[in-house]
Amino acid sequence: MAVAEAGSQPALRRRRLRVDLTTPTLLGLPLAWLGVFFVVPIAIVAAYSFDVYSLFPGPHGFTLRAWHDFLHSSVYLALFWKSVKMSLTVSAIIVLLAYPLAYYLALSGTKRKYVLLLILIAPFLTSYLLRVLAWKVILGNQGVVNTFLFWTGLRSPDHPISQLLYSRFAVMLVLGYIWLPFVALPIFVSLENLDRRLLEAASDLGASRLQAFWRVTLPLSLPGVVAAFLFVFIPTLGEFVTPSLVGGANGYMYGNQIVDLFGTGFPDWETGSVLAIFLLGIVAILTVVFARFLQPRQVVAD
Amino acid sequence: MDVALSKNGARLLRVFFALVVAFLYAPIVILLIFSFNNSAIPSFPLSGFTLHWYHEFLVNSDLRGALETSAIIAALSSIGAVVLGVLASIALTRRRFRAKSAVSALLLSPLVIPYVVFGISLLLLFHTIGVPRSLLTVVIGHIVISLPYTILVLVPRLDQIDISLEEAAFDLGASRLRTFRSITLPLILPAIVSSFLIAFTTSFDEYAVASFVVGTRVTFPIYLYSALRFPNQLPQVIAVAVVVLVLSLVVVVGAEVGRRVAERRFAALEETG
Amino acid sequence: MDNHEEIEQRLSRDKLLRLAVAAGGATILGARLDAAQAALAGLGAESGRLQVLDWAGYGNDGGQAMFAAYVKAHPKNKPQFSYMANESDALAKIHAGAKPDVFRPYVGWVKYFATSGLVQPWNPNLIPNFKHLNPFMVKAGQYKGKQYGIPNDWGFDAILYRSDKVTPKARSWGLLFDDRYKGKIAWFDDLEMLTIAGLYLGFDKPWRQTDAQLKKSQELLMKKKKLVRLIWSSETNLWEAFGSGDLWIAYAWPNDWVQMKKKKLKVVYMRPKEKPIAWVGMFMLLKGTPRSRLAHAYVNTWSSARSGKWLEDNYGYGHANTLARPASSDLLKALRLTDPRAVTEPSAHLDRDIPRRALYARMWEEVKASG
Repeated sequence: MAVAEAGSQPALRRRRLRVDLTTPTLLGLPLAWLGVFFVVPIAIVAAYSFDVYSLFPGPHGFTLRAWHDFLHSSVYLALFWKSVKMSLTVSAIIVLLAYPLAYYLALSGTKRKYVLLLILIAPFLTSYLLRVLAWKVILGNQGVVNTFLFWTGLRSPDHPISQLLYSRFAVMLVLGYIWLPFVALPIFVSLENLDRRLLEAASDLGASRLQAFWRVTLPLSLPGVVAAFLFVFIPTLGEFVTPSLVGGANGYMYGNQIVDLFGTGFPDWETGSVLAIFLLGIVAILTVVFARFLQPRQVVAD
Repeated sequence: MDVALSKNGARLLRVFFALVVAFLYAPIVILLIFSFNNSAIPSFPLSGFTLHWYHEFLVNSDLRGALETSAIIAALSSIGAVVLGVLASIALTRRRFRAKSAVSALLLSPLVIPYVVFGISLLLLFHTIGVPRSLLTVVIGHIVISLPYTILVLVPRLDQIDISLEEAAFDLGASRLRTFRSITLPLILPAIVSSFLIAFTTSFDEYAVASFVVGTRVTFPIYLYSALRFPNQLPQVIAVAVVVLVLSLVVVVGAEVGRRVAERRFAALEETG
Repeated sequence: MDNHEEIEQRLSRDKLLRLAVAAGGATILGARLDAAQAALAGLGAESGRLQVLDWAGYGNDGGQAMFAAYVKAHPKNKPQFSYMANESDALAKIHAGAKPDVFRPYVGWVKYFATSGLVQPWNPNLIPNFKHLNPFMVKAGQYKGKQYGIPNDWGFDAILYRSDKVTPKARSWGLLFDDRYKGKIAWFDDLEMLTIAGLYLGFDKPWRQTDAQLKKSQELLMKKKKLVRLIWSSETNLWEAFGSGDLWIAYAWPNDWVQMKKKKLKVVYMRPKEKPIAWVGMFMLLKGTPRSRLAHAYVNTWSSARSGKWLEDNYGYGHANTLARPASSDLLKALRLTDPRAVTEPSAHLDRDIPRRALYARMWEEVKASG
């Protein structure tokens, strides 16, 4: 149900609604909060990456050295690219999986669609750490999958499938699991907003269901699909908890690198800041380029 | 909806849906099973039924302390996030101004920042301005994190409300504030509750930022993460995790259902004028 | 704010002496001023909970037995714990404003912290159990003759492997780089792997490698990383993976061998011919702490034979108190507890200061990012 456009109202009302003296009041507090507790801290990290600021004693001053080292380092950039590939794969797969789910909920005419949607989303709102832990139990050499295979005789107990856990596969599987519920939401919203009459018209004109889908539904739901893709792609780029729990040596991602640079061995916060700001930069570019897909209205049901 | 799906198509998708839901809930069920498992390490085969771990967690004062700490932080930060979220959402849906896209993006941007980076940046900030780390600093960080979620719930709801009701109030001479209190607020109350709960569960489960800015206290996720390092703590943690998971599922589902029921009633009222 | 200075200003000389006599003991009369000050500080100025920055598992999350006697004696100054993920984390937290009274880095960091200006030396006279501590470990906690670190837990880094699955070519660190066991090997998440690579490659000063040597060590690690299933940082992780058969070879501590044996696995704890590395935990005292005497009391409890035995029996680490003996004979053997020289040459290389630690750290991060 779209909000009536302010422009379509008589001039008297328009004047009243257009008066936005209170917009600064409304936005003032949230923006100030974000300004102080979000923008400023990030600026500090950026300053750290240029060595303009540091917590540790020693000589400091503006330098591009850390950035130079990073951009010329094949190792860190290769790691970033690896994480990009993993995120792209996960995002693409779960968007493909989520589309039929959203389609079913929005277009099958089921009476319980919101309850079902809720059941779908609910796991996303429960504890992340523990859902990952549960997967460790499932994927291990003595986990559910392998012991099931032993029991059915498909594999001998001496030869479990080892690559399930502590691998790139494990990371992608668990990340997909975590994000799948959330991804269905924007697709659902765009399908919900689809004007059914268009489909009926297509049908009246002789289109089969498949044709109607291909030429009407899919193109119109594309914004939702793009939004869904971005909403999972962007966070998984910076993921570190899942890789640290199930990734092993192979599943190490860019986010882990940032954590480690800030946490282990010896303080190298400069390099860590560079990696962090680099990631933020990429994310900012994506957000700006795809801004129209990432509006609040696009994402949430109702 | 015959135009979109054939009967067989619908059936197929229903099965697919059921399978996916089963897949989504299976790990939770597995945790449930292991919370009753009579062994210190969660692995198959099962070692027999026991309520021991539930008992252990109930008498573990540090675990309870961590749960309390997390609950306090979650409550405070959710209130903050909802207040700021309401303000921002009204501006986004009821006001016209330039750079709406940019403002919108900024308000949602905490969704995309890696929390470890955010945690570090807050730590640096608090050190720079001389604020000691405490529950309060975690609350501040969690408000930032939860704000986008509240906006994501409130904006659609505000869009959905027929603004002719608010216009009518204007025409009758009500001030903006009065209109909000008497008309808008009751209508969005279910959404407010909903967004509060989402913010609450987000904060309750948040690990990265909290670990950097919490100071000497311990939140539940921090306790969890360190329990993954010491095996004697793990089974209790699984027991409490099951409780937390089930509770949060019930609360969130219940709240959403409640919200929809309430809003449907409002819609009915709106229609009858 | 240094309380010692405050007290010094407030009390006159003869008051000092009178109180010193009252406190009793020839150790205080004629002792250095700081000892007297510490005693006096205990006579009323120290208050509040003792702030302890320690690793997970040593606080109220399982380590209560280690300091139970302290809590009993000082119920108003119970320890309050915050967690350090590692020394780097502790360093960062302290620089960012945290003020723990005590914290616990390991022996390789003693020199770093001693020269950092962040810590002050202990007064062993205030730690009655000090005399029972292993002299080699005690020496390792000293810098320029002052006792900056009080040793407590310790152990070895060596190799754990499944004797029913693995036949090593030699008794060497090279087993961690053995091509035959791809996907079954675990390394440790620490720049120490560069040191181990250096030991394996035969460099004479693995903690002080030259640029060329470091490059070789790093290349070896990068080349062999594809053989590695897990780079572990928490023992639980190692036990789960090793216990379930995901791993056959791992960098490991003595208790890891004991635990895997308990699971009825056929395991060997191999001391490589290049020698294992020994590590020792060191309590350090923050400079300017207002609770110095309480800190000494806390550390004294930790240093008791009773706490030592608990640590050995429950966490499988050795304890610096030479009177502490575990119940498990396996652990006794693995730790070579009957040999006080176990942690040092010629039995093992005691972990030590790395002058270019920042460089080692960077190169290890690159190893993890590679492949």
